[in-house]
Amino acid sequence: MKNLNSMRKVFVAGAGLTHWGFFPDQECYDFGSEAIFNALLDAQMEWKDMQAAFCGSVYQGTGSGHQAIKEVGLSGIPIINVENACSSGGSAFRLAYQMVASEIYDVAIAIGMEKMPRGPIPSTAFRPWELSSGFNVQMANYANETVEYMEETSATAEDFARVTVKNRNNGSLNPNARFQKKVTIEEVQNSRMVATPLQLFHCCPLADGAGAVILCSEKMLKNKIRAVSVAASVLTSGVYGEGALAMGTSSSLKFPAAKGLVELSVEEAFNIAGYGPEDMDLIQAYDTMAPAELWDIEKLGFCKKGEAPGLLKDGYFNIDGKMPVNTDGGLMSRGHPLGATGIAQICEIITQLRGTAGPRQVSKARIGLAHAMGAGPNSSVTILKT
Amino acid sequence: MGVNQKKTIRLKEGFWTTDSEYAEPRLIGSKCNNCGEIFFPKKEKGWCIHCQQKALEDIILSSEGKIISFSVVMQQPGGGFYFGPVPYAYGQVDLPEGVRVITIFTAKDYNDLKVGRKAKLVIDKLCDDQDGNEIMTFKFSPLV
Repeated sequence: MKNLNSMRKVFVAGAGLTHWGFFPDQECYDFGSEAIFNALLDAQMEWKDMQAAFCGSVYQGTGSGHQAIKEVGLSGIPIINVENACSSGGSAFRLAYQMVASEIYDVAIAIGMEKMPRGPIPSTAFRPWELSSGFNVQMANYANETVEYMEETSATAEDFARVTVKNRNNGSLNPNARFQKKVTIEEVQNSRMVATPLQLFHCCPLADGAGAVILCSEKMLKNKIRAVSVAASVLTSGVYGEGALAMGTSSSLKFPAAKGLVELSVEEAFNIAGYGPEDMDLIQAYDTMAPAELWDIEKLGFCKKGEAPGLLKDGYFNIDGKMPVNTDGGLMSRGHPLGATGIAQICEIITQLRGTAGPRQVSKARIGLAHAMGAGPNSSVTILKT
Repeated sequence: MGVNQKKTIRLKEGFWTTDSEYAEPRLIGSKCNNCGEIFFPKKEKGWCIHCQQKALEDIILSSEGKIISFSVVMQQPGGGFYFGPVPYAYGQVDLPEGVRVITIFTAKDYNDLKVGRKAKLVIDKLCDDQDGNEIMTFKFSPLV
């Protein structure tokens, strides 16, 4: 395998997001192309500068990336559609990164877009008998993991409510978020039960939306306002022995995984980047469900197992805390258009590192990490630095 | 004539046996003769996905296990695949042979579901199909 550190440095040329919400009168191609226009404008580039496109989506059908790009202008460049569940955006980003790093292209664009079906997400990559048994309810799969987490730590439902409260606070400062209204612990705890012990306000809302990031070599960089580069972009998929109820897989009791998927992916990312958790100035963790943010922070190595709830209570993960987490409100406020989420996480890190995050700006942000999980399972880790 | 005889149909063949050799229904898994790994449901291809050898043979699993996790689902699953009752509960049970099974739970009262509590295999109705036949599946029931 090629040593990633021997490849050339890759820069963020530009990034663009759409507002996230419900857009019944639009197709994903409409907001997908809008994200592309926003990214081009930010990069001070034109579509003809793009040499390859990677488009992450989950439910948008065959060739959906082509449909979005068609609204900008087909130019014969390769367009690759990437379906990797909730890691689709992160996976598309990684492909664009690798293409530029390996000098195959000088400029590539990663897009993530999704118009979500309504109601609980209909995960379909299960065997028919599992679907008939109702095992594809992702809230319930997370609920089972939550029960295990509560057994292994002293985390409580109030801790989970605090995650929602923090992320909704942050979301109130993000004009692109679906939810920009704060909530209280009481409101979270009074919301209806969805799948015990998870309540509605523990679950991230759905949203339609899109994002795009243009990556390029140093020579091609036009927008040089505090240039952001890619320190690592890693994807790890499924390890034997680790349970993943989201895909109908239980842990092996005889041969449990020595290291979990998240631990493996973040270790690889830190090795490539030459940094550790202590070097990060902010994190975009994976908060599909409120408790998942807590165990994600722990698995990513920012604290030991069971410590995240206490640190959260002490304000450690607030925007003005020692390690801000989900500064744009995370999935919990932004909403979760599956294929677009990974790109939005990366866009927030870019915004923070550029120092243009406005009221939610983390002071002196220089290095940030974004983590997206995905059914499969997948774990995608991106580290960006100024 | 004309009387519509309701049938009971298994959700899928091969999940359990009602052989008279056993006092009660038992799940059928696979055991690897090379590495010892256990799987449920059994792997039809006989291929061990742990040691990656074709070394699996059927194993009859214990009918009692320990509840590891559960969730009571309060709303209809998405996608239109599930026709059982709502609420319903599913989660994980560890069997003494060393395998963690994902299963539906049945209980008189879902408050009887507790982590660490023993649960017993039952063969129970999942739903009716379009012709009114009863679809049967394996479930675990907490031992109170």
